Amino acid sequence: MRRGWQVACVCLLGVFVPALVTSLDYSLTDALGPGPGFFPFWLSAIGIALCLAMLVQLVRGGVVSHDAAALPLSRQAALQAGAVLLALTMAAAFLEPLGFRLTMLPFIAGLLLALGARSLLAVALCAVAGSFGVFHVFYYWLKVPLPIGVLGI
Amino acid sequence: MDTLQHLMAGLAAAMSWQNLAFALMGCTLGTLIGVLPGLGPAAGTAILIPLTFRLDPTGGLIMLSAIYYGAMYGGTITSVLINVPGEAASVVTCFDGYQMAKQGRGGTALGVAAVGSFIGGIAATVALVVVAPPLARLALSFGPPEFFALMLVGLGLVTSLAGRSLLAGLAMAVLGLLIAMVGIDPVRGAPRFTFGIPSLYDGVGFIPVVMGLFGIAEILLTMGASDRQVITPTLTSLLPSREERRRSAGAIGRGAGIGFFLGLIPGVGAIIPTFVAYVLEKRLSKTPEKFGQGAIEGVAAPETANNAYANAAMIPLLTLGIPSSPTIAVLMGAFIVNGLTPGPFLFQERPDLVWAVIASFFLGNILLLVLNLPLVGLWARILHLPHQYVSVGTLLFCMLGAYSLQQNVFDVGVMIVCGIIGYGMRRIDLPVAPLVLGLILGPFIEKSLRTSLEMSGGDFSIFLTRPLCLALLVVGGLILLGSALRLAPAEIRESSTN
Repeated sequence: MRRGWQVACVCLLGVFVPALVTSLDYSLTDALGPGPGFFPFWLSAIGIALCLAMLVQLVRGGVVSHDAAALPLSRQAALQAGAVLLALTMAAAFLEPLGFRLTMLPFIAGLLLALGARSLLAVALCAVAGSFGVFHVFYYWLKVPLPIGVLGI
Repeated sequence: MDTLQHLMAGLAAAMSWQNLAFALMGCTLGTLIGVLPGLGPAAGTAILIPLTFRLDPTGGLIMLSAIYYGAMYGGTITSVLINVPGEAASVVTCFDGYQMAKQGRGGTALGVAAVGSFIGGIAATVALVVVAPPLARLALSFGPPEFFALMLVGLGLVTSLAGRSLLAGLAMAVLGLLIAMVGIDPVRGAPRFTFGIPSLYDGVGFIPVVMGLFGIAEILLTMGASDRQVITPTLTSLLPSREERRRSAGAIGRGAGIGFFLGLIPGVGAIIPTFVAYVLEKRLSKTPEKFGQGAIEGVAAPETANNAYANAAMIPLLTLGIPSSPTIAVLMGAFIVNGLTPGPFLFQERPDLVWAVIASFFLGNILLLVLNLPLVGLWARILHLPHQYVSVGTLLFCMLGAYSLQQNVFDVGVMIVCGIIGYGMRRIDLPVAPLVLGLILGPFIEKSLRTSLEMSGGDFSIFLTRPLCLALLVVGGLILLGSALRLAPAEIRESSTN
């Protein structure tokens, strides 16, 4: 857990330090008072100070939570989480070229099987309902614009 | 027009068949979200925002509010029947609710919870009607410096109560505020942190961020989980005995009071009122040893406090524009998506909408009671759904919601990245709430600060020379100091342990 917080602090510094440098490109003050860079500059500076204070606290053995720490990620959970992220990334990549329906059909079916669904009939029904059915409800009934792909589907 | 007339006009609007249908749909979906393990109210409300995109703002907000308090009730069902709280506020209900279910009194536990939630919700809404207009009038006298100080107090409260490390909470709040700076500068119109990406000119979308931090992260956290054993309630005994009614009555009254008063304070969160109500009942009980073994007061008090809190927490949002919790922040996001800014001006500019939404709370609480008592068996059956289907359904709605906000795949990418970040944060127990509140309050805080400094010609003493502003800043400082002092002993203990 301590290592996790240390990594988090370094990641936060990786956001705050570039933000501080970038905010200097915007004017901190102008004729009307504080400029566009004023708030980001001070926020970044405060963020850096907080991260450094956290790192000092961690080095000195200060507070870290143990509640969530104790649970190691099982191999199955890691594989399933990876499958979810891969499926989401693929779906995002193909959403506009293929359209909502043709993207969501394999997304739902593949993910259900990857997560351990057994009944192929239930998987097929869910995939059709979640892709073509949801598209119909949102696109035609609720008038929410969803992407139609190059194949016109 | 006085408050009563406004309320009557609001009731008339809320009782139109469309708005009633939206409230019913919201209560049903909200209860479903609360029932489905792995979906909290914040995530559930966020992923269902797309359903309201094409509705008129009144109907959309009535539906989202109903989803919110429906989800707050739905968590009770899982607490009682599978010993898993559907959302954090229902943790306390597990203590006695599950024991009651194991003794074959699950129906009674759910019945008392439904009645308590109804009474708590109605009592808090009546208080909302009484308190909100004068509070909104008072807030109208605030200038930019007072609003700046007020929002800092709200953010400070949420941050100080969010986790076990004040520094981590503050760092998360600052990160949220910084992310809110991305996009066109609201005062000068200059682009900031956009790196030439056109999709960033409008800023980082709040909805994709929330969907990622809550929806995707929660699904990732449930990976590897197995389906749970469900205790089917005895539906023949939904109503408590005379003795149980007598013991519940006082608990419900006290729970309503605790939930309402703690709901007024931003940052308290839904867990604290339920714990306070539970502990108070245990202290007052002549048989405290029965708590944890199926005491009906142990279900009645926290459930009433939970729903009273849920309704009362709308007061800071509607009157001051301060969200008290991540779920309320999501609702605030829904207001903003609809072109409305919650706060005192909303009472002046759109009284029709505000009062229709408030009036819908009365109807929503009645609908929840009607839905939940007879349909307990149905909700219990839904608990048998394999978790794979719930997870994939949630992911589908997250994709749909993130994309349809602006018809932009970039927002889907933001959601996925925020999902990974949220998962990581939850794994190492970094608080998410301050980040979300910082993100939504960021533009308002910056605008108030800069307008204040423009008023004073760049002189910071404007925050110290206005009595109300100074008082608010002192309160904010005391809150952070109190939090630091509260957390310090824990840190010292852990240092010595390490």
